[in-house]
Amino acid sequence: MKLISRLAVLAALAAGGAAFYHPLHASDSVRVASLRAPSEPVGTYRPDQVVVQFRTGADDRDVARVTREAGADHVRRGRSGGRYLMHLDAGFTVAEALDRLRGRPEVEYAEPNAIFRASQARRMTPDDRLFSAQWHLELIDAPRTWAIQTGDRSVVVAVLDTGIAYEDFGPYRKAPDFSTTVFVPGFDFINNDAHANDDNFHGTHVSSVIAEATNNGTGAAGLAYGTALMPVKVLDADGFGDTFSIAEGIDFAAANSSVKVINMSLGGGGNSTAISTAVTRAVGRGITVVAAAGNDNEGTISFPANLSNVIAVGAIDGRKQKAPYSNFGSALDVMAPGGDIRRDDTGPGLRPDGRPDGILQQTFDPKTAEETGRYDDFAYFFVVGTSQACPHVAALAALLYRQGITDPVAIQRSIESTAEDLGAPGRDDTFGHGLIRPPVALAGLGLNR
Amino acid sequence: MRMRANGVSPRPVCLAALLTVLWVPAAGAGEISLTLDGGYHDLTNSSNSAKAVFGGTSGGPTAGLAAQYGLGESFFVRAGARYFQREGERAFVAAPATPVFRLGHPLTVRIIPAYALIGFRFLKGSSLRPYVGVGGGVTSYNEESDVAGEIFTSTAAKPSGQAVAGLDYGRGTIRFGGEVMYSLVPNTIGLAGVSRVYGEDDVGGLTAVVRLSYVH
Repeated sequence: MKLISRLAVLAALAAGGAAFYHPLHASDSVRVASLRAPSEPVGTYRPDQVVVQFRTGADDRDVARVTREAGADHVRRGRSGGRYLMHLDAGFTVAEALDRLRGRPEVEYAEPNAIFRASQARRMTPDDRLFSAQWHLELIDAPRTWAIQTGDRSVVVAVLDTGIAYEDFGPYRKAPDFSTTVFVPGFDFINNDAHANDDNFHGTHVSSVIAEATNNGTGAAGLAYGTALMPVKVLDADGFGDTFSIAEGIDFAAANSSVKVINMSLGGGGNSTAISTAVTRAVGRGITVVAAAGNDNEGTISFPANLSNVIAVGAIDGRKQKAPYSNFGSALDVMAPGGDIRRDDTGPGLRPDGRPDGILQQTFDPKTAEETGRYDDFAYFFVVGTSQACPHVAALAALLYRQGITDPVAIQRSIESTAEDLGAPGRDDTFGHGLIRPPVALAGLGLNR
Repeated sequence: MRMRANGVSPRPVCLAALLTVLWVPAAGAGEISLTLDGGYHDLTNSSNSAKAVFGGTSGGPTAGLAAQYGLGESFFVRAGARYFQREGERAFVAAPATPVFRLGHPLTVRIIPAYALIGFRFLKGSSLRPYVGVGGGVTSYNEESDVAGEIFTSTAAKPSGQAVAGLDYGRGTIRFGGEVMYSLVPNTIGLAGVSRVYGEDDVGGLTAVVRLSYVH
């Protein structure tokens, strides 16, 4: 088989050209919602309290007399007249009090003060100003995900891409909303140095999907924001890479024992033994490898996503429809939000909200970089592509690893088995196993539930 | 022989009473006993599923109560119930014979069989009497787990079958014994969770207990 010497990067451009939008400052305020689990067991009652409803006509003297005779130490009147909360004197049980109350002509009913548990599952809605515009995170229920797991720096996702704006070095600047994101040393296989800075924009945007600082009152949110990142530059300033650089990058990442996930938002046609064997070695070391399906709307998944030991990720839009550019085929595994820049369906009730349906994350303006050589013009951009869908799955893989699934085959199976089935029932070539559902994957299985 | 006026010596009376408690022959027909038992229940019939959520073992402690009535010297009928509760964690397993990964979300399983059975006791007249029995009843199954505030529950009450074999020792009002019970409780689990992965649906299995009976 002829080796491909250069692999075209799927640089997140929709068919017909790039479309970038400058950030929309969030005018919505976002509350941080938290739900503290009650400490008392559900299905029991407070052992020293009784709820009593007195009939109309019972006055304060009646209440005092009846409750005192039933064992009350003191009573509290409710706001909606006639209802009282009896606090029992020591030595009186709820059963005894009820026995004395029921049958009294002044009492309409008396019952234990039962304990109820909030049935709503906890959610964490971050206070990032632009979170309300990140429909892609709401679509996969990120707030519920974050109540279960946010990731940990002990789990590293290696991002093989154009680099990341992770440090201040020369003309490069650290992206502002990586303030709390942890980076481990990476490598630049294009320029052959230890500074894998982004000179394109793509790698920074992809990385931000995974671990942009979250709940810090600014910017956007990342799905696995507690996870650490390793920048591995295998694509140049134009977004192109080659077999050698990519295979080297995979091996470099796999040599670090903290790397548990490799994200490759890149691909092309053909095949490569060097890359295939590097992927196999990485998987053998317990690393989950995730790659983009491709943006050509073809019935064949791009390489290396089409490898059997790689999770191939396609893109859906805000309506959970296949994105018009997303590749499909028998090697497709799952879908994640990749967006459709020409649509506006992600407002309340799937109505327009005035924002394009792209994936909103931070990066620097490539036009500024191209025209001025500066890589510090950061903003928040809506970008679309299977490149953007892929890191959602990489982030989920990192969360699952932290939750306890430490085998790449099991991680893939967990993601696939819990995906929301789209299209034809069961797995199909258009949607694979369906749209990822991080909270369901993280919840795992009970004995029978 | 001299007779003590108005009474009998206390020492022989105490000895006779003690012998009565320990050695009075079993009344046989109409004998009623109340039993406390405790031991270990193993979810033998769904051991893979149980091990997945319980972390490598498939059972736990159990305790029960029973009332037994003697039908003649050998036959008996018994009604009883046991309580089993075990804590575990939600897990993930992709397929049988693949690794299990425990995810830290707390899970509790409760199994309460209520049963009635008829049995036969061997070695009439002996203080050591082996027995066997067979019967059935209803077993209640309850599972509850908590994932960051979201509660997952599963409950079922299914017909069950029990078979017992045991040994009782003693002829007085207090007897000791040991028993092994095998139970079948099909179609209880297996609809979801790890039990679906393993294709196991029966929460019955082997129970081994020690028994303490008060016989009237």
